[in-house]
Amino acid sequence: MPTFKINVNGKVHSVEGEGDMPLLWALRDLLHLTGTKYGCGVGICGACTVLAEGYAKRSCQMTLAEVGEDKIVTIEGLSKNGDHPLQKAWVEHDVPQCGYCQTGQIMRAASLLIQTPKPTDDEIKEAMDSNLCRCGTYVRIFEAVKTAVKESK
Amino acid sequence: MNVTVTRRSFLQIIAGTGASLVLGSFSSVACAGEPKKLAFVPNAFLKIDSDGSITVSITRSDMGQGVRTTFAMLVAEELDADWTKVNVANAPGDSALYGGQGTGGSSSTRSMNKKLRTIGASARLMLIGAAAKKWNVEASTCKTENGKVLSADGKSLTYGELAEAAQAIAVPDAVTLKESSSFKVIGKATKRVDNHDVVTGKAMFAYDVSVEGMLFAVCLRPPAFAATQTAIDDKETRAVPGVIDVIPIPSGIAVIAKNTWAALKGREKLKVTWEGGKTDVTTRMLRADMKQAAIAHKELPVGGKVIEANFELPYLAHAAMESLNALADVREDSAEVWTGSQSPDSAQNSISRVLGLPKEKVTVHNMLLGGGFGRKFTNEWVMEAVNLSKIVKKPIKLLWTRECDMQNDLYRPMSEHAIKASVDDAGNPTGWSHQYIQAPGRGNGEYGSNTYLPYEIPGAAMRGAGVSSPVPTGAWRSVEHGHLIVVNECFIDELAHAAGQDPLAFRLKLIKSPRLKKVVESAAKHAGWGTAMPAGSGRGIACFDGYGSCIAHVVEATVADGEVKITRMVAVVDAGTTINPLGVEAQIQGGFMDGLSTALKAAITIRAGGTAEDNFDRYHWARMSDAPKMEIFIEDSGGAFGGMGEVSYPSAPAAIANAVFAATGKRVRQFPIKVEDLV
Repeated sequence: MPTFKINVNGKVHSVEGEGDMPLLWALRDLLHLTGTKYGCGVGICGACTVLAEGYAKRSCQMTLAEVGEDKIVTIEGLSKNGDHPLQKAWVEHDVPQCGYCQTGQIMRAASLLIQTPKPTDDEIKEAMDSNLCRCGTYVRIFEAVKTAVKESK
Repeated sequence: MNVTVTRRSFLQIIAGTGASLVLGSFSSVACAGEPKKLAFVPNAFLKIDSDGSITVSITRSDMGQGVRTTFAMLVAEELDADWTKVNVANAPGDSALYGGQGTGGSSSTRSMNKKLRTIGASARLMLIGAAAKKWNVEASTCKTENGKVLSADGKSLTYGELAEAAQAIAVPDAVTLKESSSFKVIGKATKRVDNHDVVTGKAMFAYDVSVEGMLFAVCLRPPAFAATQTAIDDKETRAVPGVIDVIPIPSGIAVIAKNTWAALKGREKLKVTWEGGKTDVTTRMLRADMKQAAIAHKELPVGGKVIEANFELPYLAHAAMESLNALADVREDSAEVWTGSQSPDSAQNSISRVLGLPKEKVTVHNMLLGGGFGRKFTNEWVMEAVNLSKIVKKPIKLLWTRECDMQNDLYRPMSEHAIKASVDDAGNPTGWSHQYIQAPGRGNGEYGSNTYLPYEIPGAAMRGAGVSSPVPTGAWRSVEHGHLIVVNECFIDELAHAAGQDPLAFRLKLIKSPRLKKVVESAAKHAGWGTAMPAGSGRGIACFDGYGSCIAHVVEATVADGEVKITRMVAVVDAGTTINPLGVEAQIQGGFMDGLSTALKAAITIRAGGTAEDNFDRYHWARMSDAPKMEIFIEDSGGAFGGMGEVSYPSAPAAIANAVFAATGKRVRQFPIKVEDLV
């Protein structure tokens, strides 16, 4: 089985897996980073969102071979103590219901804040529309992103 | 009013727990043992450690409704605990220890609140007893506050300091629960106990659990319901690196592999011939059968005005974000399972029966559920994992992929409603006849003659019927109310229109329950009912009284550019006594998004005897930009704690449909609404 060196959360890991294995399963099954969730497997729901070079990527749609030198950040690497402005805002607004999609939501929002540090309301909605929440926590996600934008200044 | 509760047999100190005070179920003392990895002591309801930390055992499943937080609040209230020291741990599935753990019907708080408060109150008296003994004073001179016992002369001891000594105090025979006027925790906006774990990715769902030596499994399932495999060619599957075995099981063919991806790739390569199933069945055919099944309406009085309509509601999938999955480790003499189930106790029973193991040898760890909505009761995915682990003799982590989950759901039944009603010349209703036809396959069945109407309508009647269907069905958020309230609330609007009356005024005239009437009046007031709306926009109202709570929705909709846009939602709820306002608000937000999704987007269609939709690209659900401005008001009337998970749904799609009528003049009688029908 081939070995790939991938940079995840600031550390280079050697992972043994087929090159066509989606990053999602490499993270979860091989590196035991289970904060990245499986939702649809076809790039529609956003539950598996991670950052690749600061851009939101659906890890179910990016293969191990495609990762290359990209620096991957998962929810486990977003902050040391769970104190990223988005994580704090998520807690402050009591966003999670079941919680399953929220790590993907936060990573999507993290990408937005990197690319567009001062998003308009419409830009927030446009970006976050890529991520499905079956519990319907959208109103609170929206408010949490706005709070994090303010705190990030 | 004080409520005095006599201790029932469930509560007793669990022996041999060292320096901690542990209150557990009476029947379980014999099997108190070492703490398990994921549940602090398998038979305990409450544990107070010498460092002051408090752990409340959560005996119902949390699928997002927040029961881990509410249950902890109920105990903390009566215990006078320091909330910052309160932790929760999910109880494993075991009805002998915890009673029934089935989580649904918005029943958790309603059925468990007295028990949980009694546990908190009992522990509090025991801690006071321990302190009084130390200080050599009368227990009645002591009080408690924020995790401490205080003496009349200013001494204080923390609960942690008293935990060991409290074990020597007898469990009180009776406790008096607090009056609502002295609640400090109940009614306080409290953030969810799991928030930090969720936002850091540490929250554990079943598929996040790993055990030594486990293998991964996915299944290929038949394209039509109840079809079976006749021939399997697994040569290419077995050649996929990482694939270990291919095992036919009653529900399909399992591919066992070293990781999820290898299992998925192996499944792709399976060549299977299927036989059986009712491959000629389609949604269209079932709909036609249902229309044929309509029975005669109850005769309506002669005179006045009669209106009549047919409503069509589709099958719905639950589509929880976390698809079904379980990890099972079956050994010769024991079995251990990790899953997210709405009935972990039933899972324990089934595993014990199937494996022929005594129940105490079967451990079912119930993890967080990534959504449930009624889907996660039946445990068939758990039994598949158990079966596979038994065959492979290794721990098996089974994933139902999104496609498996969506195409093998126990769907919210499709329904057909023939409904007819009359008003006299003065605009008063004189009759109502509702025929409720479902394609049940199995599941919901009929609902008798209950009209589910909160309105005073003389001679109102309901008749139910079913047609046969191979489509498996089950409970879906709010169960039958998701059909009946939606249709009733749409049709009462039509009747108001026929009577030439405002739909709000018409409802208020006919509503029997003063509680319901109050929330309807209030929602209309908050929403500015009766004020002008721009052309192409409209306001709709609907209400629901059930599960111990009352709710009214007012919705504003705009229909333009080939789109229905919901721009505003006002909801007023009376939950009796709200435990956590943040939780109630969250349920109303979420229930409304389900209402919006099912009013405007979602339907499951049956094609060739199976489900056509297999993922979120064709089974559409609301996204952030669909969410309107939401204004939610909790206006409790006091008294019993009402349910909330189901309460927030049924009137939402109806209020949307009524708003669409107000905007366009077109009545909605088919869900989801097709915008092309509105022009």
